[in-house]
Amino acid sequence: MPLCVQDLLGPRAAELKLRVICGAEHLNRPIPEPAVNRPGLALTGFYRYFAHRRVQICGLAEMTYLKTLDATTRAERWRRLFAAGIPCLILARNLRTPPELLEAARARRTPVMRTELHTSRLAQSAARILDDLAAPCLRVQGTTVDLQGIGILLEGPPGIGKSEIALGLIARGCSLVADDVTELRRMSSGLIATSVEVTRYHMEIRGIGILHIPSLLGVSSVRREKRLDMVVRLVPADKSAEVDRIGLDPEMVEILGVAVPRITIPVAPGRDVTLVIQAAALNYRLRQLGHDAAKELDQHIIESLTRGGGRVND
Amino acid sequence: MSTTERKSSTTIGREAIREVVVKNPLGIHARPAALLVRTASAFRSEVTLEKGGQIVSAKSIMGVLTLAGHPGSKMRIRAEGPDAEKAVAAVADLFEKGFYE
Repeated sequence: MPLCVQDLLGPRAAELKLRVICGAEHLNRPIPEPAVNRPGLALTGFYRYFAHRRVQICGLAEMTYLKTLDATTRAERWRRLFAAGIPCLILARNLRTPPELLEAARARRTPVMRTELHTSRLAQSAARILDDLAAPCLRVQGTTVDLQGIGILLEGPPGIGKSEIALGLIARGCSLVADDVTELRRMSSGLIATSVEVTRYHMEIRGIGILHIPSLLGVSSVRREKRLDMVVRLVPADKSAEVDRIGLDPEMVEILGVAVPRITIPVAPGRDVTLVIQAAALNYRLRQLGHDAAKELDQHIIESLTRGGGRVND
Repeated sequence: MSTTERKSSTTIGREAIREVVVKNPLGIHARPAALLVRTASAFRSEVTLEKGGQIVSAKSIMGVLTLAGHPGSKMRIRAEGPDAEKAVAAVADLFEKGFYE
């Protein structure tokens, strides 16, 4: 779904402090290109390569320049700017909106907004927020926890015990990010996992029902979002023929175009796998630091096997 | 949607789909969600609910709640597996009866 002007007024764009001056009924206008543009050149009358598909930002420079023009030319420049079909126009520094601007905006059903922010700050923040808002997003079925800074998505068939295992991890000091439904966004820093607003910080545990985790276990037991580092796939113990027994070739899965390591853990009824998951996460961190236990042991074995002309040392 | 591979080769049975409307006055709050999940979980098929492009497992309370099924909203029930048709019929029946509210 393409972004629309309304998204710039939502909670994720609150820091822009935008107020609508006109065109409140046209906030569903799409933003075809999630980027910003300062239309200085277009306002001088040069329209080639005008980035009309982006959010337009005007500051003191544009407005002061227009004041040097006569009223007819000024009105004409605004008319042509809006006629290009821009998504919306934002004025920085709470600058006054000249009537000819509003007239041109209304004629093209284009929203005009204002903010107290200075132009450079507004342009930077708006560009970043548009990037965030346009980031590819995917909702997956799985529970996400933060284990000492390592973001883990637990996935597996319904009833395998994702939430119960997560609860065990939280009791051992992890934080809950999302229970059962995890929203993933692809950002420049990687995949960011978060929960869906309506059920945030709640868990459902079979037999008990819905729990509010921060009330039960304290504020440190939850996190709003976390970068995803690994996926833990839980499979029924009887169907786990392909479980990795050595760990030489860590499996990778691609989510939204990002490769994420994945391990598969067999779960038998009643078996506590929280320690296994903790060990897997710490082992992942160890690998990041350059220590690969499986590789080092294998190296050691190969060395001892090849020493002395192929005879095994015992 | 899940990051696990689709095991289409091992899935026996068929697919059933039905469109429904939330009829009860409060929408799908906790109680109807629990009833829905309990009903869907009784079937072997994989049962999902879709609303506005979001797909969740109909066997997950949190999943069903995140759909925010307000009164009058449209949803699509989809089941895949050996008892797909029965599963869809049972879940659709709950919507039809307004979750007995």
